[in-house]
Amino acid sequence: MEKAQRKVKSSDFVLLAVTVVLAILFLYPVLFALMSAFKSNGDILKSPVSFPTTLYIQNFKDLFAQSDFGTAILHSIFLTVVSEVLIVCIVPMAAYGIERRKSRMTGFIYTFFLEGMMIPFHLYMFPLFKQMKTFHLFGNMAGPIVCYIAGSIAFGTLLYSSFLKGVPLEIEEAAQIDGCTPFQTFWKVTFPLLGPCTGSMVILNGLGIWNDYLMPYLVMPSGKAKTITVEIASFVGQYTARWDIVFAGTVISIIPALAIFCMFQKYFVKGITAGAAKG
Amino acid sequence: MKKTGKFRPDKVAIGFIAPAFLFYTLFIIVPTLSSVYYSFTSWDGISPTIRFVGLANYKEIFTSARFGNALKNTVILTLFISILENAFALGLALIVDHVRWMKNLFRSAFYIPVLISGIVSGFIWKIMYNYNFGAINSILSGVGLEGWKQDWLGNTALTLIMVGVVLVWKGAGYYMIIYLASLQSVSTDIIEAAEIDGATPIQKFKSITLPLISGAFTINFTLSLINGLKVFDQISVMTDGGPGFTTETLVYLLYKVGFNEGRQGFGTAVGIVLLFIIIILNTLQQKFLRSREVQL
Repeated sequence: MEKAQRKVKSSDFVLLAVTVVLAILFLYPVLFALMSAFKSNGDILKSPVSFPTTLYIQNFKDLFAQSDFGTAILHSIFLTVVSEVLIVCIVPMAAYGIERRKSRMTGFIYTFFLEGMMIPFHLYMFPLFKQMKTFHLFGNMAGPIVCYIAGSIAFGTLLYSSFLKGVPLEIEEAAQIDGCTPFQTFWKVTFPLLGPCTGSMVILNGLGIWNDYLMPYLVMPSGKAKTITVEIASFVGQYTARWDIVFAGTVISIIPALAIFCMFQKYFVKGITAGAAKG
Repeated sequence: MKKTGKFRPDKVAIGFIAPAFLFYTLFIIVPTLSSVYYSFTSWDGISPTIRFVGLANYKEIFTSARFGNALKNTVILTLFISILENAFALGLALIVDHVRWMKNLFRSAFYIPVLISGIVSGFIWKIMYNYNFGAINSILSGVGLEGWKQDWLGNTALTLIMVGVVLVWKGAGYYMIIYLASLQSVSTDIIEAAEIDGATPIQKFKSITLPLISGAFTINFTLSLINGLKVFDQISVMTDGGPGFTTETLVYLLYKVGFNEGRQGFGTAVGIVLLFIIIILNTLQQKFLRSREVQL
């Protein structure tokens, strides 16, 4: 049978050409942003489609000189990292409790958690902010973090539960016979086996936090730099005549996401497909 | 000891689940339930006194022209996004599945827009759409299509669709991954058997591929509808709901009345309507999925 090594046909080249054209069309806006970030404002306006002629980095210098973008970068990193660390401490444990301690109670909690995927953030944001003010979680970094944790639970539990079904019980039983408490069994034996699942969740969820706009925009103290996304959104209104600066900001926002994607591609694919299969 | 103790709580399970349960309940469920209450009030978001107004907000929703307009915009935008996103995603998945070289590279290329934030993607396209200095008009004059030049975001007949284009571009790659996974789950045995029986490529697609990816289609279509209903960032950075009210969707209306017009009670009522729409879509999805499983 002509299986893996079938003959190269002319139709293969046609398809390749079509795919290349489509890929260029899809990547063009990203390329456009990258190119514009290295062009002077005059060049962006004069010839939007041309390539930058020199390695022009004045935009990045202006960006940091004229705004508090450095602080915004630190805030974005802090929010993403701290939220993800806490999420990894909380979510897999919950999924383990649900999956390994099956009862009517845990079954109910699982459904209860999954219902959360339907509730749009915009619906409950007004009462949420009011509630955060009473808890002193408004106007600081702790506010968005607790909300990100709460928001990660539905999808995270789904992902970990489906993954735990494939982890054999025997290892855990052996650990328990050796005298491990359930808590130790989970963290020392089961959790290390969930690495790919943790990777998928952290990456997909972390990207969501990195790119989030509305929460930090509304919750973090006003009058100061907030996060990268919020800064970019405010530049769009503020520097209507300085697109070069905004493009420099967009490149700084895109690069980390792109780097993580290139390094951990398979986790993206795994997380998305596992989430869809169960959702 | 004889008592089976049905109600004896499982302390281990509670210990494991409690932290997640607390965060989830405190910061999602409690505010959602209070939304239901606030939707019956004329709360402005600031004053400590909250006046109960009964069904007044809901009455206003179903009579106000602004809500009707937002609902119309939401339906148009959501359908536009969902249909095109799925068409592109399925097409791209088929292409990536069949292309002979560099499958992974192409898959990544189509996925990259998904990585970009709503704000940044909105900004990039806003500049590309610009009438005088944008890339699109510049390319059009470059290839001699001067007549096609447009004020893409200023022409009110086009604005909503132009915002939709950005979302399709940004979203298609995500659904492509799901289609691709289901395409690759089609076992080669079945396809080979069909080939031996002399099935044409079109027959193969219709009788093998299509039924097997119909589950993915149901999931993707529902997901894209729900995500389409929640679009916010791009509208905020590209049009701010304008020109006029031409791109004001339900979510954007909710935000504007809540934060700019001090009518959070009315805003939450709009949110409740949105939640109902999402619940209905989800229920329909479950029904479809279940009926499909019976057939397979």
